[in-house]
Amino acid sequence: MSAALLVELTLNALALSGLLFLVSIGLTLVFGILRVVNFAHGVFYMIGAYLGFTAVALSGHFWLALLVVPPLVGLLGAALEASTLRFIYRRPPIYQLLLTFGIALILEESLKVIYGPTAKGVEPPPLLQGSVEMLGIVYPSYRLFLVGLGLLVGVALWLFLQRTRAGLVVRAVAQNSEMADCLGADVARVRTLVFGAACALAGLGGAAAAPMTTAYLGMGIAVIVEAFVVVVIGGLGSVVGSMVGSLIVGAAQTWGSFYVSEAAMVIMYAVMGAILIFWRWGLFGEEE
Amino acid sequence: MRSLGRVGSLAALVVLAALPWVLARHQLSILTDLLIFGLFALSLDLIIGYTGMVSFGHAAYFGLGAYGSALLLIHWAPPVPVALAAGAVLAALIAAPVGWFSTRATGIYFAMLTLAFAQLLYTVAYKWRELTGGSDGIAGVPKTTLFWGGPSLASPRAYYFLVAACVVLSLFACRGLVRSPFGRALQAIRENEHRFTSLGQDPRPFKVVVFVIAAFFAGLAGALFAPFRGFASPEVMFWVLSGQALMMVITGGIGTLIGPVLGAMVFILIQEVLSSYTEHWMIFAGVVFVLIVIFLPGGLVGTARRWIEARG
Repeated sequence: MSAALLVELTLNALALSGLLFLVSIGLTLVFGILRVVNFAHGVFYMIGAYLGFTAVALSGHFWLALLVVPPLVGLLGAALEASTLRFIYRRPPIYQLLLTFGIALILEESLKVIYGPTAKGVEPPPLLQGSVEMLGIVYPSYRLFLVGLGLLVGVALWLFLQRTRAGLVVRAVAQNSEMADCLGADVARVRTLVFGAACALAGLGGAAAAPMTTAYLGMGIAVIVEAFVVVVIGGLGSVVGSMVGSLIVGAAQTWGSFYVSEAAMVIMYAVMGAILIFWRWGLFGEEE
Repeated sequence: MRSLGRVGSLAALVVLAALPWVLARHQLSILTDLLIFGLFALSLDLIIGYTGMVSFGHAAYFGLGAYGSALLLIHWAPPVPVALAAGAVLAALIAAPVGWFSTRATGIYFAMLTLAFAQLLYTVAYKWRELTGGSDGIAGVPKTTLFWGGPSLASPRAYYFLVAACVVLSLFACRGLVRSPFGRALQAIRENEHRFTSLGQDPRPFKVVVFVIAAFFAGLAGALFAPFRGFASPEVMFWVLSGQALMMVITGGIGTLIGPVLGAMVFILIQEVLSSYTEHWMIFAGVVFVLIVIFLPGGLVGTARRWIEARG
C-alpha cells in the first residue's frame, strides 16, 4: 500500500468518525443523564439532514443552515421529551426504549410524507467545494471540515462539562439524580435540556452529513446502528468512550470496506465482539 | 379466575376451529397471518416477559426460520413439518452462540448486542446472493404435504389448520415451560438477579437456554411464514420487525403469553384497517403505540386482569 493511499484512507476514517461522534455523543449523554436509550436518536440526525436541505434550498446559504438547523431539532427533541418521556422515568427501561421507538416510527414516516421517497442532495458551501493538497495527496476539503467539526464539538463539550457550573450540575444529575434533586438541582429541567441538546447535536451531524451522503430515508437507522456499536464499544454514558468508539468504528468501516467491500458491517461487529470479550461494559463504561 | 380462564381457552379453541367455515378467503389469510405473528410475539415474551431480558433482535430468528424452511422446500420439497422443524432448529442453533455472547451483559447492553447480531444476520442475508437471493429473497416457496404421500396443504384452509395447531401447541408448551421449575427460576432471575446469584445459582445457563428456546419458537413462526406467503426476503430479519414484535408484546401484556398473541392480532388488524385508508399507517400505529406505552403499562391483558381483580 502506498503512503498516499494510507493517508487518504486514514482521513476518510477520521471524517466518518467525526460524524459518528456527533451522533453517538448525544446517545451516550442521554443515557448517562436520563438512563434512556433513545431509539429515535437516528431520526433526529435524519431530520437534521432534511431540514438542512430545506434551509439551503430556501436561503441558499449552507452556513446559515448549519446554524439554524441544530436549535430547531433541539427544540423538537425537548418538546417530545417534555410531552412524553417525562411521565415514564420510573418504569423499567424497556418502556422508555419502546416509547422512543414509537416516536421514531412517527417521525420517520412523517419525513417520508413531507419529502417523498427520493434522496435530497445538498451542495457543500463554495469555500469547501474544492480539494486541498496536503501530505502528498489531493483531498476533498469538505471531509476535512467534518474531521474538524467533530473535534471542535468534542472539545467544546468536554470544556462545558468539566469547566462550567452548568456542566457540573449535569454531571451531578448523571451521577445521582436523587441526590442532585435534594441539593436543589432542577432535575426535570436538566433532563429536558440535555435531551434537547443531544438532539441538536444529532441534527448538526445530519445537516453536516447531508452534503456528503445526501439526505435519504433510512439514514436514521443506518446511523443509529453504528452509533449503538460506538457506545457499546466505548461504554454507555462515557464521553471519552464515545470519542474512542467513533474512531474505532470509523476505522473499521473505512478499512473494512476497502479490503472486503461486501462485508464492512461484519468487520465492525467482529471488532465489537472482540472488544466485548475483554471489556464487558465497553472500554470506558461502568458495570450496570 | 381459574375456571374463567379455562372456559375462555375452550371457547377460543372452538372459535379457532369454526372460523375457517365462516370467514372469506381473504379474511382467513389475515387470520393465518395473525396467528403466525402471534406465535412470534409469544416467543419473545418468554425472554422479555418471563426473564426480564429485552431482546431487540428477535426478528433474526424469525428470519432464520423463514430462510431455513424456504430453502429446504425450494430445493428438496419435503413435507412442510420437516421444513418447520428445520427452520426452528436452524434458528435455535444460531441463537446458541449469540445467546451465550449476549447474556454476558445485561439490561440495555443485552438489547444492543442482540440488535447488533440481528443486523449482522440481516446483512448476511442481504449480501449472500448465491444462497439467499439477496434483496429479492426467495420466491415461490411451495406449500407441500403434511407427510410423505400425505394430504396437500396447498389450500388456505388446510394451511390455516396447520398454523393454528402449531400455535396452540406452542402456547401450551410455553405455558408448561413457564410453570415448570425452570420457568420459576427464570422469573426469579427477572425479579432479582442478585438474590438468585446469592442463593448459589448461576443465572447465565438459564438465560442462554431460554434465549435458545425463544429463538426456536420464533424460528417455527418464521418457518410457517415462508410457505404461507410463498417467499422469504431480508425484510423478515429487519430491525423493524424486531421492534414490531416488542410492540405486540407490550400492547397485549408483557409476561402473560396469551397477551402477546392478542397484541399481535390487534397490531396486524390496526395495520390492515389503517393501510386501507393510507399508506402512511405507521404514523398512526406509532401514535397508538406511544399512547399504550404511556397509559396502559400492563397492556390489554394486564389491564383487563387488574380490572377483573379489582372487581373481585
